[in-house]
Amino acid sequence: MNDADSAPLLEVRDLGKRFGGLTALSGVSFSVAAGETVGIMGANGAGKTTLFSLIAGNARPSAGTIAFAGGRIDGLSPDRICRLGIARTFQIVKPFPGLTVLENLRTAAMFGRAGLRDRREADAAAMAVLEEVGMAALASAPAATLTLAGQKRLEVARAIATGARLVLLDEVMAGLTATEVAQMLDTLRRVRDARRLTLIVIEHVMQALMKLCARIVVLHHGERIAEGTPEAIGNDPRVLSVYFGTAA
Amino acid sequence: MARWRSSAWIVATAVGAGGLAVLPLFGNDYLVGVGLTVLMWIALTQSWCVLSKMTGYISLGHVVFYGLGAYLVVVTWQQVPLALAIVGAGVLAAAFAALVGLPVLRVRGPYFVILSFGVSELVKFSIMAAESAGGTASRILFGAPDLGAIYFAMFALAVAATLLLMGVSRSRFGHGLRSLRENEEAAETLGVPVVRYKLLAFVLSAAIPGMVGAVMALRSTYFVVGQVFDPMISVTAIAMALLGGGDDTRGPILGTLFLFIVSEVLWIRAPLAYMLILGAVLAGFVLVAPGGILGLLDSRRARGASGA
Repeated sequence: MNDADSAPLLEVRDLGKRFGGLTALSGVSFSVAAGETVGIMGANGAGKTTLFSLIAGNARPSAGTIAFAGGRIDGLSPDRICRLGIARTFQIVKPFPGLTVLENLRTAAMFGRAGLRDRREADAAAMAVLEEVGMAALASAPAATLTLAGQKRLEVARAIATGARLVLLDEVMAGLTATEVAQMLDTLRRVRDARRLTLIVIEHVMQALMKLCARIVVLHHGERIAEGTPEAIGNDPRVLSVYFGTAA
Repeated sequence: MARWRSSAWIVATAVGAGGLAVLPLFGNDYLVGVGLTVLMWIALTQSWCVLSKMTGYISLGHVVFYGLGAYLVVVTWQQVPLALAIVGAGVLAAAFAALVGLPVLRVRGPYFVILSFGVSELVKFSIMAAESAGGTASRILFGAPDLGAIYFAMFALAVAATLLLMGVSRSRFGHGLRSLRENEEAAETLGVPVVRYKLLAFVLSAAIPGMVGAVMALRSTYFVVGQVFDPMISVTAIAMALLGGGDDTRGPILGTLFLFIVSEVLWIRAPLAYMLILGAVLAGFVLVAPGGILGLLDSRRARGASGA
């Protein structure tokens, strides 16, 4: 049996994804320990969202393996992966527009790892999440009426309501105002600590990434070019050359 | 207020259902025939909603199940007990849905609409070809049960279809279907087994139309392939569902009654302009009240609430 304390919660090995002739991701390896918060950095088209799609099962890897809590998950369907305990948010938000905010979370609580088949139990769990993320007042609002910040928050709330152990956050702060970013950061830290979540965070808002993560993985043209603490990444010559074009 | 309305609805449904249940004991053949038609449309429309209203996969080919059920009764006529043939019609329709469901439900939106229509036409012409190869242009059923028995069978199917949609609509399964209707990729990522759920909804929505087709074959006592696979049957059920609105059992009942009454009145009062006026009514609904009759009632209630 696996030693739960030392084995990583998520282990990605030599992961690759080709779309026809385009290589979106190749030879990416990294691991995430339970309770860690890891950032994923990279320019547009670096393969960040593709990486999330592979882990969450929305796309199948062309090469490599993904292991979660000791078992292989690559090639499983998204709903099975969700029931195992991985949830993701979508960079381009995908709410259930015709359902209320509470009903959006009910789906997650009923069908995710939480598996609360009873509607009352599911709604109680959903309501608890809404309180935690500060959306309780919007519970009965149709999701279509939310602002962008509200919809980003709904993505996060829904992912948490699945009862996931690992949550993949895809640019949940993009397009928000400075105040909204600060509120989101605060919420994420609070919920992470309260629920002992493991997070992988894709973010362009660098300061947010620095504040949230102890470790950052940098992707460029589908390959992992650097990994380390935020300070080390900030001084890494390869990263600087990719971002600022200096000849290092 | 909402509770009062819902209990008023329950009373109206109970009175209507009770009236329909005893109609053959008091009514003449014409009235019983009218009741039978209404019950048939309720059964078909409720069944259609189990797939199309709940999942958003609009089936334009639901008549294929009706036709298969009718065909089974006709080819097994006087060879197997009738009750068994009717149940068999439901099983056949469900099995056919299970068979074609996996490939057909892979496509969404307009592609699914066209594909479902294509499948029903394909089956229609296949059976036509088989029948004419066998040398039969049409068939006649001798010794079919009387109208009263047919009526009660249809009554049972209408009740069953209503209970089915009610059960689905209120269940966890139903919430999963609504979620995938709203956004399939998000639903799947949140743990809803979308492939299995869509297939199950398709199979459930097929069984009762198969039995309805079987019972209606007994009513007409003659069988022409083009008639039991008539695309207008699919279209009429869709029109009734859209006129009713909503995704619970009230919409199909309201829509069926509305369309049935309007078309009967028009047919009697304005036989020449009948289709023109009916078309205008349908177009008007789509433009002015896309939420159907239930949508109109809800918005009136909302206005009343905000005005008070």
